[in-house]
Amino acid sequence: MNLSWRRIRAVVIRHYHVLWRSPHRWFDVLVWPIVDTLLFGSLGVFVARQTGAGRAGVSYLLAGILLFHVIYQSQISVSVGFMEETWSRNLLNLMVTPLREVEYVAGVALFGLAKLVLGIGVVALAAWGFYSFAVSDVGWGLIPIAAELLLVGWVISLFVIGLVLRFGQSAEVLAWGLMFMAMPLSGVFYPPSALPAFLRPISYALPSTHAFTAAHRLLDGRAMPWHEITLAAIGCVIFALLALAFLLRMLRVFRQRGFVTRFA
Amino acid sequence: MGYVLQAEGLTKAFRGVRAVDGVDLRIAAGERVGLLGPNGAGKTTTLLMLLGAITPDTGTVEVLGHALPRERSEAMQGVGFAAGYLPLPERLRVREVLSMFAELYGIDDPEPQVQAGLERFGVTHLRDAMGSELSSGQRTVIGIVKATLHRPRLLVLDEPTASLDPDVAQRVRNGIARMCRDDGITLLITSHNMVEVERVCDRVVFLSAGRVVADGRTDEVAARFGIDTLEDVFLQLAGARELDLPPEPEETSRP
Repeated sequence: MNLSWRRIRAVVIRHYHVLWRSPHRWFDVLVWPIVDTLLFGSLGVFVARQTGAGRAGVSYLLAGILLFHVIYQSQISVSVGFMEETWSRNLLNLMVTPLREVEYVAGVALFGLAKLVLGIGVVALAAWGFYSFAVSDVGWGLIPIAAELLLVGWVISLFVIGLVLRFGQSAEVLAWGLMFMAMPLSGVFYPPSALPAFLRPISYALPSTHAFTAAHRLLDGRAMPWHEITLAAIGCVIFALLALAFLLRMLRVFRQRGFVTRFA
Repeated sequence: MGYVLQAEGLTKAFRGVRAVDGVDLRIAAGERVGLLGPNGAGKTTTLLMLLGAITPDTGTVEVLGHALPRERSEAMQGVGFAAGYLPLPERLRVREVLSMFAELYGIDDPEPQVQAGLERFGVTHLRDAMGSELSSGQRTVIGIVKATLHRPRLLVLDEPTASLDPDVAQRVRNGIARMCRDDGITLLITSHNMVEVERVCDRVVFLSAGRVVADGRTDEVAARFGIDTLEDVFLQLAGARELDLPPEPEETSRP
């Protein structure tokens, strides 16, 4: 399969224009990161004062929300990027060009990376400015963890795109719903053992849980938790393969049932 | 004879009702073909199958020597498509929309092609307008400019002049006819405007209830029905199919 960088670039530029001309889209990149940092940072400070637990709780919450934004930004960028085509009824326009599906996803994912850098940068700056939490203090170990969470975000977005292709715009709510279901189950702010017992097996099956557990170990000052990082990586690969298979199946159904007319 | 498009035995059913029922279509290079028929005859479904946007239940499609769906991307390099009902992507200026599609079609230097395309259809004044600010007629013209930026070998137009006033429609018809003639572009067009079809096309294919009921030169087809004009052929077919429309593809279903 010959992928075209030019076509991928065309998708990136298209979404750059959309973001630039849609002030409300900046909420995802600038406003929600600050709101979340304020919310969880202040909650951590309050709990620490009440319990005398020191700054460890604040670090857990701030590192957790920073890493959760890796999932959030990567997932929302791709899902909403695709939904932009359904909202502007542009799917058919694209489907009758040489653009391949994989090039389209690569384009929105690439543009999403830029949004991710912005969003994470805002969280990191806000955490440092408001609560003197320097993400660099956690160390380079955060990089593989963030990479895994980036993949988790993309995997969720592939599921969301598949659902929108199959069920139409009524499935769009899942773009946000799936992610916020993953948030408590992944133990973003706490170890999975804090979850009700019946939910723990689900939690341990998610790659994001192992990534966040690895982050917590780093915050506790322990050595690089390669075991958890490896488990997360394996989980990412399995879920990515499942998501791709699901998306391809939904694309086939989309073409077989003529669902493109919903968006034209 | 080298065919630009070959479709054999195309069928498509939605919820058990056949929208397209065994359509065979071969279009040779340089032909200008009108795909006609009353509402619900299966024209748009057929077009979308020919473009790879809908998978036929049975049958094969080959465009410019590339079999669909496997070689869809390669096939679409040489195809342009515009439809009167398709909007432009939102939040982009006209020149940005056109540049984006020029890039998707692999044009090295999009700017001159964009300018030439706007000039060809007399709409250079729309260059910096936002797509959302255009009237439906202007949007349709820009859609046609978009579809012809890369000088396709096969141009597919679905109801291109449906929302245009007579003056603009005439300009668009002339532009399409001139381009097809000068560049040897093969044309496949659907329209309810029989006068337009007679002016632009040299061959018509009539669909009724998803089947090809007539295929030939415009004057031959009318004569075959024993009447004078394509308009009368259309009315005769529409009358026979009155209120007997196949369903559209599924509109809604919930998770």
